[in-house]
Amino acid sequence: MRRALQGDGKKKPLDAVTLEVIRNALPAIANEMAADLQRTSYNMMIYEVRDFCTSLVNTKGELISQNVGGVSHFVADLGVIITDAMKRYGKDGFKEGDVIITNHQAVAGQHLNNIVIYMPYFYKRELLLFAMVRAHWIDVGGMSTGFGAGPSVGDPWLEGLQLDQLKIYEAGKLNETLYRVLKDNIRFPESSLGDMKSQMAACRLAVRRMDELFNKYGRDTILDAIAQIFDETERKCRNVVEKLKDGVYEASAFLDDDGVKRDEHLPIAAKVTVDRGSMTIDLSGCSPERKAAVNSRTYAGARVAYKALTGPLEPVNEGSFRALKVIIPEGNIMMARYPAPMSGWSMIVPTVVDTIVKALGPAMMDRVPAGHHGLLGGAVVFFGVHPKTGRRFVVQSIEGGGWGGRPTEDGESGTVSVCQGDVRNASIEGIELKCPVVVESRALRTDSGGAGKHRGGLGLDTCVRNLIDGRWNFDHPSREHCPPWGLWGGKPGTHGEFLLRLPGENDFRSMDAPHYPVPVDSEVIVRTGGGGGWGDPLQRDAALVRADVIEELVSRDAAERHYGVVLRDDLTLDETATERRRNALRSGRA
Amino acid sequence: MIVVAVDIGGTFTDLVGFDDEAGRFIEAKSLTTPHELVQGVLDCIRKSGIAAGAIDELIHGSTIAINTLIERKGAKTGLIVTRGTRDVYIIGRGNRPEAYNLFFHRHRPLAPRHLTREIDERVMSSGEVFRPLNKASVTEACRALAADGVESVAVCLLHAYANPEHERIAGAMVSEALPHVYLSLSHDILREYREFERMSTTVVNAYIGPKVGGYVRSLKSRLGAVGFSGDLSIMRSNGGVMTPEVATERPVAMMESGPVGGIIASARIGEKLGFANVISFDMGGTTAKTSLVRDGEPTLAPGYYVGGYASGHPVMLPMIDVVEVGAGGGSIAWTDDVGALKVGPQSAGADPGPICYRGGGTEPTITDANVVLGALDPHNFLGGELVLDADGARAGIEKKIAKPLGMDTITAARAILQIAISKMALAVREVSVEKGFDPRDFALVASGGAGPLHICAIARELHIPKVIVPLFPSHFSALGMLLADERHDFIRTFYCDLGSLDFKALAAVHDEMASEAKKSLRHSADAEWKIELDLRYVGQEFTLSVPVSREAIKKGERQKIRAAFDALYEHRYAHQSPDEPVEMVNVRLAAIGKRPQLRFPRLARRGVTKPSRRRDVYLAAARQPIACPVYQRAELGSGARIKGPALIEEHGTTTVLFAQDRCTVAPSGEIIIDVGGA
Repeated sequence: MRRALQGDGKKKPLDAVTLEVIRNALPAIANEMAADLQRTSYNMMIYEVRDFCTSLVNTKGELISQNVGGVSHFVADLGVIITDAMKRYGKDGFKEGDVIITNHQAVAGQHLNNIVIYMPYFYKRELLLFAMVRAHWIDVGGMSTGFGAGPSVGDPWLEGLQLDQLKIYEAGKLNETLYRVLKDNIRFPESSLGDMKSQMAACRLAVRRMDELFNKYGRDTILDAIAQIFDETERKCRNVVEKLKDGVYEASAFLDDDGVKRDEHLPIAAKVTVDRGSMTIDLSGCSPERKAAVNSRTYAGARVAYKALTGPLEPVNEGSFRALKVIIPEGNIMMARYPAPMSGWSMIVPTVVDTIVKALGPAMMDRVPAGHHGLLGGAVVFFGVHPKTGRRFVVQSIEGGGWGGRPTEDGESGTVSVCQGDVRNASIEGIELKCPVVVESRALRTDSGGAGKHRGGLGLDTCVRNLIDGRWNFDHPSREHCPPWGLWGGKPGTHGEFLLRLPGENDFRSMDAPHYPVPVDSEVIVRTGGGGGWGDPLQRDAALVRADVIEELVSRDAAERHYGVVLRDDLTLDETATERRRNALRSGRA
Repeated sequence: MIVVAVDIGGTFTDLVGFDDEAGRFIEAKSLTTPHELVQGVLDCIRKSGIAAGAIDELIHGSTIAINTLIERKGAKTGLIVTRGTRDVYIIGRGNRPEAYNLFFHRHRPLAPRHLTREIDERVMSSGEVFRPLNKASVTEACRALAADGVESVAVCLLHAYANPEHERIAGAMVSEALPHVYLSLSHDILREYREFERMSTTVVNAYIGPKVGGYVRSLKSRLGAVGFSGDLSIMRSNGGVMTPEVATERPVAMMESGPVGGIIASARIGEKLGFANVISFDMGGTTAKTSLVRDGEPTLAPGYYVGGYASGHPVMLPMIDVVEVGAGGGSIAWTDDVGALKVGPQSAGADPGPICYRGGGTEPTITDANVVLGALDPHNFLGGELVLDADGARAGIEKKIAKPLGMDTITAARAILQIAISKMALAVREVSVEKGFDPRDFALVASGGAGPLHICAIARELHIPKVIVPLFPSHFSALGMLLADERHDFIRTFYCDLGSLDFKALAAVHDEMASEAKKSLRHSADAEWKIELDLRYVGQEFTLSVPVSREAIKKGERQKIRAAFDALYEHRYAHQSPDEPVEMVNVRLAAIGKRPQLRFPRLARRGVTKPSRRRDVYLAAARQPIACPVYQRAELGSGARIKGPALIEEHGTTTVLFAQDRCTVAPSGEIIIDVGGA
């Protein structure tokens, strides 16, 4: 530490300026941690999928700041790990230079790939907070390779290595035994241990930044500012909710099944109570915990929805959720008891978020879109051993789907789910540089967006041909029977699926199986759903429908069937026929 | 020799000229004429009094490229792609950087889907042909695009960076079938992998090409018509200049040339004064921009997003790395719904402008706060061209900020400045601390109308001991253009393990790039060549660019290159992995043609170092105003020394010195400040 960055550390009064400076500095630290982690990581789940979060959490488990932009279902989810750690180690149980690693589901409540690394931060020997990074490792043993094990993995031992609040470094000294256990029990140790190094570097960066801040403003000023920032953030959220009509709002949806028990829908239900600025989101109506590995312990569904509706562009901290009460009883699918299997933990979350948003539709007509594709993307996962290099490879990409039409505009096409933010598909050229496949196409699906005054966005077809033998993962949740819903008269979007055509076959067939072996020169289409339409399609401006037909987003046939818009062969608008057709459709409804 | 730079900005067109023999600068400013930019350039030259025929070289920077894109006034553009990739440009990366925003927007394509045509062909990442080019499919695409009446065509085929043959053939067929359309081939624009980003860059080029090309031609011919027969150079985003011919082919290269001039000037002036490491800080009316210069070299970013990362258009061409924050003279101060004081990013702009401009502005701005605190003289703004409304500024801050927050007006004005300063200091941190550089090892160079007003406060915030206020701070970008060299950047994806890198093949690729570069260079005689390899640990995605010499490639210095990468990595991220394998992704070449150096005049030794008057100013945390001496910069001679507190006024700006600050005027005219307490 150099001279000039040190101050006297004494308390200075908290004024509007200091408050604002600290308010800007805290998220900047979390974002800087995130940027460095992403640039130094060894696995696409971090550098493209941004399946991580970086946070500062105080000793009470309250969120001081978190990075913005990555995977949104990690919102404010690290506090429980600290409350647990404080119980186990006690406030005197941490030393400078400790690094703790954990992924244990009894507390962390997510799949084992999500490894949390954290470090205590001391100012003048007082433990004040923790710098934390949760990141998806490409492998943690067991069935965890790639995006993580699917819903069919029966328990956490099959899933992978369980690490329960262990000190990988104690006072700066590496625990060599633990390190060897990690190294020997995961498939890509260079990648995962490289990521661990990046996670630790991000935590150390936060420690340096906190030192600069505390030395400049002093302990009390910063702690006062944090308390005030929490209060103000809460106030802002209340201000939004106060404008809504008090009442109880409900909606429900479902996934086709849980991936194991195939004859039963997986129910999702949200009951939202708005009461003078406070909101309660009750998810008791969602399925009880399952034998299939689709369980979790998470408030993410409720929190992502609340955040999106109250202050989407503001940084996140503990105050962001103080005016929100979430009810999820123990034994619920999202409050499952250890050792309920969790390897497919996040699969239902986007639909849960969407269901809560839909419930609030009548209260926030101007801010609620129709349903989106609702899944964590079309997952491209093909793996094998590269014949040239002898190295194991995994082709991984997340393909987006359609978003619902919005109160003022169409939904976006081919975009990741509401639980994913700056999550990027893998570039075709990047995939092919590293892996022996040909990506034959990545294309919008005409007519996949739900019809509406504001049309739903389109889903995608991504077609991959493999040049060597390997395995595909077709294990995925489905929304065929509960497709992305329309709103206010809009039509639903279409669902997604996996399609396979073996060499010599003429047709593609629908697939649903984990780690499925395919011979050379097979073709797979990863298909994603379209978004629902918003508002009556007959009210859509005929000129916009015509433009959609010219762009081939909507077929001429669908324009006529759903929108009542009739085009001539040269694609000019036949106004008379359109009026006639629209009238007929209207009277047909009545 | 007379060299002239004309920089078209959003509000003003600035001219700075230098007459080598007379040792004399000429400056002029005129209002930008958005609909007749060329006329604006001619007007500015006329206003300067320089005869067009006497100008030996004219360097020009213009907003034409970026405005054509942002205002979406470009050509009707068609796109030809590999079968199966018609929607790659629309889908992009499928991401939503604003993670919680249900109303997010993706980039709005510049080439619509119905003008995107697929052709049958396929090349692999190795460059091998997987499916041969079907010429009939190209003919069909051309026919369809011709029928649709496109004015411009972009061609971007998969892996064309590795093997551009199919793209070349398709391009030739387009030229033949549509002889009057503008054509851009992706491998000509950017030979780097990642199809969406390359496609976007190529489409942007095609979209703005016809208009920018027309502009450059018209500029050349109308300058010729008024007698100009010297060399015309166009400023580009990478900090160099290019010939009008190159600009016409690659207009996308001039997209972000606006802020670049000032950074080049900072680098050159810093070097001349013995500060090879500087941070350039330019604060104008709506934003502040900062950039880091190390060893006299501006930092380049490999690409950027026009219109912002969340919804903008990727352009993956090297650009001087600039961090911009919404804090300018016109930035509005406001209180949010829970009573927190905020400054920016909304700006009152030039219209209606700050309250004190009397243009109907009602929201208090940073400029209003400076007037209230006395740092700006209402009667001496822009040399007295505009008498500022100090009472209005005071009343506005009182009503909108002081009362709601329960403060007095002076405290409120000071709070506005402090919040703005902390935001700007965060931006300076972002280009320095966050990249592993200690800002205290750098001198800050202040420019823009509002830069010198706030620079000492920012320096103090970051403990930066040295500040330079250059000559012509409010024409700084144009000044920088006078000093810029010619620069062309090339990139090739060259993917392999560093351990098995074939240095002969690398040398061959380098030589091919170099011969291409020579074709574009006007000043090729003593050109400087810079080679960089983009390296990463195996398994990573992001690379660091490691400088290497031609010698090192020739000798195959694998170990040295490896060690240099580890060291660079350590510097940037504070850790390294010397035992892990490293791979190479790209090779970069910059060709820098040296333009003749200008020898700027020295300032007369004799000058007046006496305050012209005193004015009441509230500085720092003082409760009461102090009677602050005011100096006129034009009167200061070389070697003049001033102790703060003091104000130094000049035409477009005022420099504020606090109590412990000391400054000296350099023999070449710059004000060099030792920041007290830093």
